[in-house]
Amino acid sequence: MSPTYAAAVTEETNNDQSIRVMVVDDHPMWRHGVARDLAEAGFAVVATTGEGRQAVRLAPAARPDVVVLDLQLPDISGVEVIGGLIAALPDLKVMMLSASGEQQDVLDAMKAGATGYLLKSASPDEFVAAVRAAATGAPVFTPGLAGLVLGEYRRLAAEPTDDLAPKLTDRETEVLRFVAKGLSYKQIAERLNLSHRTVQNHVQNTLNKLQLHNRVQLTRYAIERGLDA
Amino acid sequence: MAVFRLAALAYVGYLTVANADLYQRPAVAWAVLALMAGWTGFTWWAYAAPGRRTWRVLVPDLGVTAVIELSTVWVIGVEALTQGIPTMAVAWMAGPVLAWSIAGGRRLGVAAALFMGAVEIVVRGAAQQTATTGTILMLLAAVSTGHVARLAGDTERLTQAAIEREAAARERERLARGIHDSVLQVLAMVARRGARLDGEAGELARLAGEQEAALRALIGSSTPAGGPAADDTVDLSALINGLAGRAVSVATPAEPTLLPAAAAHEVARAVRAALDNVARHGGLTAKAWVLVEDEPGAVTVTVRDDGVGIPPGRLTEAAAGGRLGVAQSIQGRIADLGGVVSLRSEPGEGTEIELRVPRRAR
Repeated sequence: MSPTYAAAVTEETNNDQSIRVMVVDDHPMWRHGVARDLAEAGFAVVATTGEGRQAVRLAPAARPDVVVLDLQLPDISGVEVIGGLIAALPDLKVMMLSASGEQQDVLDAMKAGATGYLLKSASPDEFVAAVRAAATGAPVFTPGLAGLVLGEYRRLAAEPTDDLAPKLTDRETEVLRFVAKGLSYKQIAERLNLSHRTVQNHVQNTLNKLQLHNRVQLTRYAIERGLDA
Repeated sequence: MAVFRLAALAYVGYLTVANADLYQRPAVAWAVLALMAGWTGFTWWAYAAPGRRTWRVLVPDLGVTAVIELSTVWVIGVEALTQGIPTMAVAWMAGPVLAWSIAGGRRLGVAAALFMGAVEIVVRGAAQQTATTGTILMLLAAVSTGHVARLAGDTERLTQAAIEREAAARERERLARGIHDSVLQVLAMVARRGARLDGEAGELARLAGEQEAALRALIGSSTPAGGPAADDTVDLSALINGLAGRAVSVATPAEPTLLPAAAAHEVARAVRAALDNVARHGGLTAKAWVLVEDEPGAVTVTVRDDGVGIPPGRLTEAAAGGRLGVAQSIQGRIADLGGVVSLRSEPGEGTEIELRVPRRAR
């Protein structure tokens, strides 16, 4: 069975003990289960919490490398949690986890700066591999997420007023379509005769451009409203 | 209704007080007035509850009123009538007519009005008068009251239906939230924990995982995006998302992929046929991925699987033998929509079917 997400980077042979993870999930069963899986796999679980605000408060002291974040929290939205976390720790990687694909929420969270996304139906092995990949900065994409990103670029292209809208190169479109159709980075590399690293970079670029555009939009909005003064 | 009768009764009371000395039998007039007051009270009570508005009340109501009106001839007397004294029941006579038109609509109202009109003509006829004005007024009242009553009834039914629909939608949303927060999380956890176990426990975990996927698709499809849009278009992505499951992963844009309802359902049926085919021929462990792309001029749906694939020449062979059932049904559905189907398959690499349906110029 081929994995439904991007595979871990194999050339990385770092010590997992150095990877610090914070788990944010309001469901206690999931919070403990995920923390246990990570601890068993050798990660250092530095904090667990069920609330977004508390996660943002805890982050500076806990200094996690990766935050595993449930998209639906009782207090604040995923976008707000990600914004707060990245403001506190700019190098932080955020791996989202959700039970059902609330598509717009997932897309908004990715644009706000999340590194990866995984469904809760993924197996523990897939999950651990994904967290390890996210820690290295590799984009963890599900096919569903690739479909959302493709759709977002098409939506932006159809919007005539947005002259700064990012565009995908033909190669990036090709790679994203393969991810959306369930091919692993390794399979895509074979089909396109590219290196694994290059495929990963293409995916990473599609995300970077969206996140940059998102920041530009927010800044522009702030200037228009005179909030920069 | 009750208000009308009360007002009419007050008018009758006033007339009786004013004209009693001209009546042939004033004492009986007071008794009749008391009877009318009593009857007004009774009908007030009888018509108050919808359950009591039956023939058992409606028929006696008409009868009692008619008798009271007929008593005019004997109580007031022909002589007084010829001098222009109003009849005993006057406007009060219209009470049962209104009751009939409210309970039975325009036709029964008209029937009651005609009956009361006939009674009045009999009374007036005894005094050699023609009195059609009252009858015509009653007819008009019966028609308009029946009409308004029907309108009010229809409006009430529509409002009630709308309220029920809204309550049902809200209840579904609430259930979906609840299921998401509890059952889904637990099922997903059971599936995850048990995935490492062998034998019966592993099988239970696998079943939990299947149920989780099915439930997720179910509550996902109850979101407003799944319903029809204002015009006659349907979100194709929502339809395709409903096909997701343990072995089927679906990727769509976040925004609705709107297509004319018939086209959207036809594409969804073609995708379902392709997925059924994967389940049948792809091998036990075959997984499938569906990608929906919303481009400016067309909608593209790709179904890929990692099954055994189709050996080269097998398709032409099957076509020659007339055994291209599934491919043909997909091809047919998409061609009817003006679209094209392309198929790519290599042994061991699975199969990829691309359905491309043009978007009509808006």
